[in-house]
Amino acid sequence: MTVHPFTIALASLGIEARVEARDALAVITVPNADAAARLRDASLRRAVVALAATRGFTTVALEIGNAADDRAPLSGH
Amino acid sequence: MKPVLTEAARADVATATPAATESPRLSHATREKENRLVAWLAERRSVILGFSGGVDSAYLATVATETLGPSRFLAVIGRSPSYPDAQWDAARSLAAQFDIPVLEVNTHEMLDANYVANPSNRCYFCKTELWSVLRTVARERGFETVIDGTNADDLGDWRPGLKAAREHDVSSPLADLGFTKDDIRQLSRERGLPTWSQPSSPCLSSRLPYGSAVTIERLRQIERAEAALRALGVEGDLRVRHHGDLARIEISSGQLDTWLVPQKLRALTDAVRQCGFARVSLDLRGFRSGSLNVIGVAAGA
Repeated sequence: MTVHPFTIALASLGIEARVEARDALAVITVPNADAAARLRDASLRRAVVALAATRGFTTVALEIGNAADDRAPLSGH
Repeated sequence: MKPVLTEAARADVATATPAATESPRLSHATREKENRLVAWLAERRSVILGFSGGVDSAYLATVATETLGPSRFLAVIGRSPSYPDAQWDAARSLAAQFDIPVLEVNTHEMLDANYVANPSNRCYFCKTELWSVLRTVARERGFETVIDGTNADDLGDWRPGLKAAREHDVSSPLADLGFTKDDIRQLSRERGLPTWSQPSSPCLSSRLPYGSAVTIERLRQIERAEAALRALGVEGDLRVRHHGDLARIEISSGQLDTWLVPQKLRALTDAVRQCGFARVSLDLRGFRSGSLNVIGVAAGA
């Protein structure tokens, strides 16, 4: 299975996430609520957005249904 | 020049809205703009305004009501599925509070295939319908001039609706006289208008990516989701962008810290899912005006 290059870039920031590309929108899904809460850090959010821009994404959205549900660890990277 | 508010009225406003007492002094330049606006309006025999109840048209409506009176001025609300009920209620409430003469008309842009297809110039088709209807009202009721609330800051944005206004000979006195959004907010605050600090409120169709068809069902989903998020306590700028099965919530960047905690994420998710979205996401940059303009055209929607 292909891993989106942005997934690897996010890992460099310590963020485990699945990436879904929708044109210039990147939807990132993290494994649980704690991982989502890490993004309260504004500097980390800025770093994610900046990294996304280098991959051609103008917009990054965190899927929060997954985080709120606190589902099982990510699959299908 | 007619005073903006009598002393008695100022006292009433100060009692009703404490924030108005903290209004900073207006600059001479800003006050002079209002003087020129009053003079501009006074030169017109009669005026009809496209009135949404937003920051700009609310301010303009109060100045026009004071300057022209109810026999020479009419604010017209154009109702359609893309106009949120909450804004409609607010517009009518404001009109009642400030004695603004109001007429409500229905507009039918949803019957225009060009509009429904949601091209990047969608606003042109919507405004063409709105100004056509208002021109008819003006003709039937003997009003001379049709105006809108476009301000000087709007002129730098991508606003295809302005072309429709020009084609229907709609004047934009706020823009022509150099009113910025900040001028309008300051002057609105001085008048005790509740809209002075209100976030901008473009139509619901602006939450759909270009190329994603405008449908009543989608507009209702967006409207319900935004109302649900307001009910949860989301303040300031708010948009629920519609990406098919996925909702993308934009809130003020300063509020992201507040909402990025597990129990609040759950509340956001539940609220938006109840409006028919299978998936819910939160934009990590926060609210940006026109953010859909930079994402691209929806495919096959």
